[in-house]
Amino acid sequence: MERVGIVGYHQVRPELDLQMSPYECIFTAVRGALDGSGLKRKDITTVISATNDYYDGKTISNCFKVSAGGAYMKDESKVEMDGAHAAQYALFRILSQNHKLAMVYGFSMPSCMPFESTRILELDPTFDRPISLMNGYATSGMQMRAYMKKYGVSEVQIAEATATNWKNAAKNPLALQEAQKAGMTAAEVLKSDILASPLRELMYPLLGDGCTALILAPEKQALKITDDPVWITGVGNCQETYYFGERDLTTSLSMEKASEAAYKMAGVKPSDIDVAELFGFTACEDMILAESAGLAERGKGDSLFAKGCLNPSGGATSGMTPCATGLNRIVEAVKQLQGKAEGHQVSGAKKAIASGQIGFCAQNNILYVLEGGN
Amino acid sequence: MCAKVQPAIISAGFCEHASKRSDVNMAEMVNEAVEDTITKAGIEWKDIDCIINGNMPAFEGANIPELWMTDHLAAKNKPLLRVTTGGTTGGSVTIAGYYAVASGMYDMVLAIGFEQQSCGSTTMGLASVALGEFSIMPELGYAYDKLVSNMGAGAAIGIASYQAMSYMRRSRATEEDLARVVVQNRRNAAKNWYTHLKMPTVTIEDVLDTPYISFPLRFGMVCPATDGACAMIFTTEEKARQIADIPVYVNGVGSYSNESAIVHADCGGAGQVDPSEQLGAMKSAEVAYGQAGISFPNKEIDYAEVYSPFPNQELMWVERVGLFEENTAAEAYEQGITALNGELPINCSGGVNSTNAIGASAMERPAEAALQIMGKAGNQVPKTVHTALGHGWGGAVNLITHVVMSDEPQRKWR
Amino acid sequence: MPLDLEKMEGDIFTSKGMIKADFAFWVGLAMDKFYDGIKEQKFIGTKCSKCGKVFLPPRNRCGDCFAKAEEFVDLPGTATLKNFTATPWKITERRVKKGNKNTLVGLVQVDGADSAFITEILNTTEDKLEEGMKLKVVWAKRIKGHPQDIAGFEPVGGA
Repeated sequence: MERVGIVGYHQVRPELDLQMSPYECIFTAVRGALDGSGLKRKDITTVISATNDYYDGKTISNCFKVSAGGAYMKDESKVEMDGAHAAQYALFRILSQNHKLAMVYGFSMPSCMPFESTRILELDPTFDRPISLMNGYATSGMQMRAYMKKYGVSEVQIAEATATNWKNAAKNPLALQEAQKAGMTAAEVLKSDILASPLRELMYPLLGDGCTALILAPEKQALKITDDPVWITGVGNCQETYYFGERDLTTSLSMEKASEAAYKMAGVKPSDIDVAELFGFTACEDMILAESAGLAERGKGDSLFAKGCLNPSGGATSGMTPCATGLNRIVEAVKQLQGKAEGHQVSGAKKAIASGQIGFCAQNNILYVLEGGN
Repeated sequence: MCAKVQPAIISAGFCEHASKRSDVNMAEMVNEAVEDTITKAGIEWKDIDCIINGNMPAFEGANIPELWMTDHLAAKNKPLLRVTTGGTTGGSVTIAGYYAVASGMYDMVLAIGFEQQSCGSTTMGLASVALGEFSIMPELGYAYDKLVSNMGAGAAIGIASYQAMSYMRRSRATEEDLARVVVQNRRNAAKNWYTHLKMPTVTIEDVLDTPYISFPLRFGMVCPATDGACAMIFTTEEKARQIADIPVYVNGVGSYSNESAIVHADCGGAGQVDPSEQLGAMKSAEVAYGQAGISFPNKEIDYAEVYSPFPNQELMWVERVGLFEENTAAEAYEQGITALNGELPINCSGGVNSTNAIGASAMERPAEAALQIMGKAGNQVPKTVHTALGHGWGGAVNLITHVVMSDEPQRKWR
Repeated sequence: MPLDLEKMEGDIFTSKGMIKADFAFWVGLAMDKFYDGIKEQKFIGTKCSKCGKVFLPPRNRCGDCFAKAEEFVDLPGTATLKNFTATPWKITERRVKKGNKNTLVGLVQVDGADSAFITEILNTTEDKLEEGMKLKVVWAKRIKGHPQDIAGFEPVGGA
């Protein structure tokens, strides 16, 4: 795969209740990405958005976002998954050579909707959905139980990893303010109420309203636009079966396959990766994803937190904006490779991976390999 | 100018469509279309390396149903993308399928569009496009049920009537012209196996003898709400030549969006005064033709499927996408130019006017056009079709998809 | 009620209301049979025609083989617990609410099936739950041919 450059980005800092209309929020992100990279709206030929009708409470919510997203009279489309999936479609459009500059954005306002309820709408309507026992908390709880049992990982270890995520968020200037818990300890995590045993409240991310935009360009154009492009050298996308009882929760099969495909495309090995920004709902899931991507031995994912190379931004714990969280991981990885991760820079980062997910316990994972420098 | 890798369609499959597919759930229904297209392509399901799926979420009350339907989509442990853009969903999925292959990343892409409208309420699903915008109306004394019935009325009638009025004023098309389009579509549908409203003997008088829903649109003119699914397989030129008798090369695609025609929540939108103007459709067509190397669409296009749930739209679209001069479409229909054995047959499948499973219908337009090129359409035209187009429309009248296909690949300019 | 626009100037206006959005899902070929079985208080699954895997709840396609799974098989009311959690939270399509007591949620594999499903564990406490323990189905008092007819599963041999 020819490398494609990320030449611009902008993240609207998430807030528990952002005092902006959806259109203002999207405009701020897209405008910010254009201004930050010195590009004009007329330079963009295609826009791929990531929004979700149920998160927006409105059918075809994307048809109203055309103008705010800079897509007026542009060739545009929409992916209704994580923003990181929309980025793959934008990647298709750039690689096809039909387009020279693509804008991607992901947006939602969880303050306006009961997010975990929208996940109930993802269930099998002929059985699981009317029963309503399968939800975000219960599935993450069972995932944690299975993982801890199989690899002998303790609650304390997971709580330490969780505390690291909160503390990292405190070093991330674009984290949700309420997620910046510099003084978080494992003990405090373990004192928080149970969500679904053994998962506790402080192990689950806070939701934030926000929008993130990303600009992609083919190599030739990227080198003209910026001195500091970050290259997408590989991508992998994989969706497991829905049936929870048939999935091995101690690993992430979708991440195993997605990372395999991405590494192969990029011609790299897991040991080449300096920093990983992975979208897991919990620190436990971060660990499972990192292990499945080959970054650590099974059951030893927490060592990556100690090393400081996993989710230095705090990961999803720094603020979860449905449809944008995966894009935020990509943006954070880009910042690491550009040396611009203010407050939470991993030194000497040259190769990174970033992931997005959708579905309970990351039923679908998408992973990018990113490389810095010319 | 053409894509890095030349994509081709090698099969188009459907499930049985009906007003209520009560025998199957969503996953089983989509699976029928998937099985149909895989069988018709003659490939192994294992060869599929990427799945792209879409529908219009509001009609089933299900969020990202691909997650539940993974196994039925032949997608277990494979890459999957969900593309949803309202009425143009099927067209957007088609275009995404094109790009997945054109990028060089995937070789055998399964693209699916579906809708099981009988699971929900079509009126509610459509009304919720702009319910937020209109939610202040009950506060001003406008009863909620009157609001919904005037906005929705079984189809996107509110905006469509304005669009019809603008078009009829420009073109002097009459209600009879509208009825003629309906008759042609419904009679065509009678000869196509999976369609919904099959009316082999319907006449203009029959259509005009139905009550108005919202002038000038009568009950007899409006599309149905259908349960159905459509699936296509995209592959590279090289593989298509090995697998298919007649590969259908996708040479041009465009999906240019206009501003929404409804003033929305923070006063954006409605830059358009005339919803029949459709700048997005004109630009999408221009770009797609340009990519496909077509300079004179009215001469070079042999067959077209345009997206017209309402008959006035069919007359409008065939003009907007350059097949007929402005304000001449009605006459062309009257003269039989767009009939099955005419010079430029349009919507011989029966069109959206006869079958409308919303998530599938914008894919069924390029699918039917592709089948005409392959010589395998349900209602096949007698002449040889070399180049055809499939068009889609939706949103707050502002979303468009345009797909141009041919039995010859588009060669790169040197 | 008419709005006093002059009085409101500068205020943010909120309009509240409920929109009725009912959905009813066709259960389909496989689950139709399943619910017939439920009415008779028995489990009916399907078997893949190629690899022989048995699915409960039944589905008509095997994801691994993409082959049809249309053969119906009767399954017993006994099962094994594969995973579990205890939660005070009730999440439905409308709301996310914390209750006063815990619901025991289990991933349960009925004997003879190769798939497991999420259901409630009854008549026991969290500390007694263990992966691999034997369970049996508890039917609801009134059977309607509805998923809630499966009230849950309880430990074999009492709590």
